[in-house]
Amino acid sequence: MWKAKMAAPCVFCGAAASYRFFLGGRVSLARKQGVWKAAAAELQTGTGFQVREKLRHTTGVTTKKNVAALRHEAYTVDFIKKQIEEFNIGKRHLANMMGEDPETFTQEDIDRAIAYLFPSGLFEKQARPIMKHPEQIFPKQRAIQWGEDGRPFHFLFYTGKQSYYSLMHVTYGKLLEAEKHQNQLQAKDLIGSRWLIKEELEEMLVEKLSDQDYAQFIRLLERLLTLHCGAKEEFVQRFRRSITVQSKKQLIEALQYDEQGTAFSTSEGKRKSAKAEAVVYEHGSGKISINGIDYLLYFPVTQDREQLMFPFHFLDRLGKHDATCTVSGGGRSSQAGAIRLALARALCSFITEEEVEWMRQAGLLTADPRVRERKKPGQEGARRKFTWKKR
Amino acid sequence: MTHRFRTLRSLFPISRSGTPRAAFLGSSWPAKMAAPVGKAARGWSVLALGLRSVVPRLPGLTQVRWSRYGPEYRDPQIDKEYYRKPLAELTEEEKYEQELRKIQLIKAAPAAKTSSVFEDPVISKFTNMMMKGGNKVLARSLMTQTLEAVKRKQFEKYHAASAQEQATIERNPYTIFHQALKNCEPVIGLVPILRGGHFYQVPVPLPDRRRRFLAMKWMITECREKKHRRMLMPEKLSHELLEAFHNQGPVVKKKQDMHKMAEANRALAHYRWW
Repeated sequence: MWKAKMAAPCVFCGAAASYRFFLGGRVSLARKQGVWKAAAAELQTGTGFQVREKLRHTTGVTTKKNVAALRHEAYTVDFIKKQIEEFNIGKRHLANMMGEDPETFTQEDIDRAIAYLFPSGLFEKQARPIMKHPEQIFPKQRAIQWGEDGRPFHFLFYTGKQSYYSLMHVTYGKLLEAEKHQNQLQAKDLIGSRWLIKEELEEMLVEKLSDQDYAQFIRLLERLLTLHCGAKEEFVQRFRRSITVQSKKQLIEALQYDEQGTAFSTSEGKRKSAKAEAVVYEHGSGKISINGIDYLLYFPVTQDREQLMFPFHFLDRLGKHDATCTVSGGGRSSQAGAIRLALARALCSFITEEEVEWMRQAGLLTADPRVRERKKPGQEGARRKFTWKKR
Repeated sequence: MTHRFRTLRSLFPISRSGTPRAAFLGSSWPAKMAAPVGKAARGWSVLALGLRSVVPRLPGLTQVRWSRYGPEYRDPQIDKEYYRKPLAELTEEEKYEQELRKIQLIKAAPAAKTSSVFEDPVISKFTNMMMKGGNKVLARSLMTQTLEAVKRKQFEKYHAASAQEQATIERNPYTIFHQALKNCEPVIGLVPILRGGHFYQVPVPLPDRRRRFLAMKWMITECREKKHRRMLMPEKLSHELLEAFHNQGPVVKKKQDMHKMAEANRALAHYRWW
């Protein structure tokens, strides 16, 4: 075995190391393998000098036949599997031999059986015969980390310590999630309130503040909030002011009644420069007439008719109401948007408060403030600039 | 939303490239100039609810890149089923979000979106990308004609096929559309990075929305440019969609070319710093 090691594919990095192996300086620093082998043979048989240092293996030119002997035995997956099968079969045989039930034969039973069948008087416990599962006998090995094309399977392979870095990655992810969760829990207490504004703080302290001072203070309070129980502190609550919890500023029109007794409700809507007024009747079959014309003829484009249908469809009241609208100004799309807003507002009288809130969150009750942006001097349009010329 | 300032005195405004929308908050796309500022502002106001981001309005400076809605307005949630869910089914996060929304101001729903079951966000996006000069009516009609053409072709194939093959032929134009676009999405893209005076094409993983955008863009460009003079857009587009659905055709080839280029340039991957 020593001979095999000496015939190893070693190229020495420096002459400093050589003195340990060239005992008595007899053999020169020839780096050919033939010389090495001869030296090894001499050392083995000739001197009897004990070399205590283990030979350091460094990379170098190798011949095929030495590499296989050198590398410590790699157990293939098939080999391990075969060993496991043999172990299981052997376990059953052993159970049969001992007269026990093979299905419920545990590792302790195996140990007792082996101690009984092969009594050993050796003092060294590890030298006695054992029969354990191959997983406990053969050391755990890493499978080949790359596929046939040479590409590694794990994305962190080139870090050198893929399992460690992936573990760190997962742990950090969990940390971030936990922090986020905690932030959310904190934020729950803060939902209905806001920080006091600079003017309010100035009033409280009776001192003039700059914007940066105020911003710094708010940042510090936010940092305090990130701590556990930071939000409930009385100190922090002093600087919070409540805001209107629900945007319930929606004016709900009162219902009016016509001659037959059917309830109806009127409201207005605007979009760009189009103004619309809608009257929605409680009972009907889904007919909508605009400026006296049926909606199918007034809006030949599908998109506009979809806009008219939107509030009704959202509340599941598609064929249940009749509507009469008047609209003026704007273009095709803005008229449709104005009517949509008017219809949504009119429908508020017929539905519950919760549904009104749903409509608001769906954006049906907000008047669209977008208008055409003016053209600016020095530019071709509102945003488009003139073609840039280098000279 | 970032606020950029500009003096009225300057005759030539500073030209900016790239989209202003602060949609880069969570993305891995190269950080454009104003993105970090926007990120800080958003991260703040998550907790400081209702507080307007303090932007000093100095006299003599007008803001560009602004919106008629203030920064505190949130996007509307149009899905009907979201509101109909009973309280027991909601997770902690959803409950929290619902509570939050009650205080927030909500923008108006856009004119192209409804709660209709027939509406598809992918189709809407594709229609908008096909639109030229704001002619949404034309774009939408082209889209419907395309889907009709796809359906007709598939039905012809269906009626001409034997019983076993009939089970494999997909006739729903929407599934074909979605699958075709998914087949055209590249996984990895190339980004020119300046290093030592030269631009190198570095392979970079693409975010989801960039992938979808590229798939749609390639499809539209392909149909506009590489067609016979007299062929109409719906015809050409339906043909390309069917080919992409079967993983053939020029758009899928373009995606594969992109992948090959990325594979060839993989040595430059370490030039990426994000």
